[in-house]
Amino acid sequence: MSAVEQRLHDLGRELAFPPEPDVAPAVLAAVRRRPFPWRRVALGVALAAVALAAALAVPQARSSILRFFHLGGATVERVETLPAADERAEARGLGRPVSLQEAKRRLDLPLALPPLHGRPRRAYVVGNSLVTFVLRAHGTTVLLSEFDSYGEQALKKLAQPTTSVEPARVDGAPGLWLEGGPHTLGWIDRDTGYRERPILVRGNVLLWLRGGLTLRLEGRLTKAQALELARSIR
Amino acid sequence: MVDRPLDEAELVERARRGDLGAWETLVRTHQGIAFRTAYVIARNAGDAEEAAQDGFVKAYCALGRFRRGAELRPWLLRIVANEARNRRRSAARRDRLALLAAAEVRPGDAVPSPEAAVVAHESQERMLAAVEALGEEQRDAVVCRYLLGLSEEETAAALGVRRGTVKSRLSRALARLRENLEAEG
Repeated sequence: MSAVEQRLHDLGRELAFPPEPDVAPAVLAAVRRRPFPWRRVALGVALAAVALAAALAVPQARSSILRFFHLGGATVERVETLPAADERAEARGLGRPVSLQEAKRRLDLPLALPPLHGRPRRAYVVGNSLVTFVLRAHGTTVLLSEFDSYGEQALKKLAQPTTSVEPARVDGAPGLWLEGGPHTLGWIDRDTGYRERPILVRGNVLLWLRGGLTLRLEGRLTKAQALELARSIR
Repeated sequence: MVDRPLDEAELVERARRGDLGAWETLVRTHQGIAFRTAYVIARNAGDAEEAAQDGFVKAYCALGRFRRGAELRPWLLRIVANEARNRRRSAARRDRLALLAAAEVRPGDAVPSPEAAVVAHESQERMLAAVEALGEEQRDAVVCRYLLGLSEEETAAALGVRRGTVKSRLSRALARLRENLEAEG
C-alpha cells in the first residue's frame, strides 16, 4: 500500500457519518405487503422450459422454435398472441430524464450519437442499463435506445406473425429489421432483475450492433430511412 | 447440540423461500455499509436512509435472479447505490464529508499528545479537502474504495461501472492526491 493509500485508509477511520438508522423494520413491513415476484418469474421460466421441451419433441412444431432471433443484448421472439402491454406516448415510460453527460456516466460505455446538428441534449435512463434519446428524423419522432450487448439478455421483443423480421446490416454490423404489425418490448433491469410490464410498439424497429452496444431505432420510418439514420449514428 | 449460525448462502436460500427472519438477518448484517455507501453518494442522511431501505426491498424482490454462489454484498451495494444516485442532490445541496472531532479517539488507538492530535487532525482535514476537491467520478471512487474500505468489485458495483473503470479512476485520483501531498511537504 502506498503512502497516499495508507493516508486515505487512515482518513476513512476518522470520518464522521450520520448515525446509522435501523432500516430492517421498514424493509420487513414493505416486503410483507408484496407477493414473491421471483416465484412468478421462476414459474414462468419453468413453464417456458416445459413448452420448449414439448415443442422440440413434436417435429411439426420445430419451426416455431426457430423463430428466435438473438442480437447483442436483445431477443426477438415470434408468438401467436401478444401479451397484455401498455401503450407508450413518445417520451413517457422511457425512464428518468437526465443530461447527456449523466447518461454517458450511467451506461459506462461510449454512447453512439447522431451528428452534431441532430444531437439530443436530454436522455432517458432506466437504471444504469438502458439509455434512450428522442430524435427528429424524416419529419417524424424517432426513439434511439442503447444498451450493453453483453451480460444478461436485457431486452425482449415479442412479435406476432403479422410483423416481418428480417436481417439487416449497418456499416457491416449485423442487425434486424422489424416491420408491420405491433409488437411488444419488455425490459429487465440488470441491477434488480425487475421486469417492467411490456410496452406496445406500433412503429418499425431497427436493431443493430456497434462496438459493445446494442442499438435500437423505433419510429415510423421505412427500412431505407432507418438504415440511413443508423449509419449516421456513431 | 448447539445451533451453529447460518452462513450467508444459507440465509439467502431461506430468504428466497420467503423466510423473512433470514432476510432480516441479512439486512442487519449489511445495513451499516449500505447506509454509508448511500450517504457518500447521495450526501444526505435522509436520502441515504430511504435509498438503503428501498434498496433492501428491491433486492428482496429480485432474490430470484441473484446468482447462487455469488457474493451478496456487491449485489446489494449495487442496488442501494443505484437508489442513492437517483436521489443525488445538486452539488450546492449536498452534505460535505466531515471528520470526527480531534478529541474523539477510537477504541484501541494510541492516545497522542494534545499537540500531536491537533497536527494529525489538521493533516487529515487537508487530505479530506483534497479528496473533496477531486472531480466527482474520481472522488466517488476514492471514497468508496479507501474511505469506506469497499473492495474493487464492490466499488465498481456501487458506482455502476466496470472494475477497469474503477482502476483507472483510482489511478488518476491517487496521482492527483500524491501531487497535493508532495506540495504539502
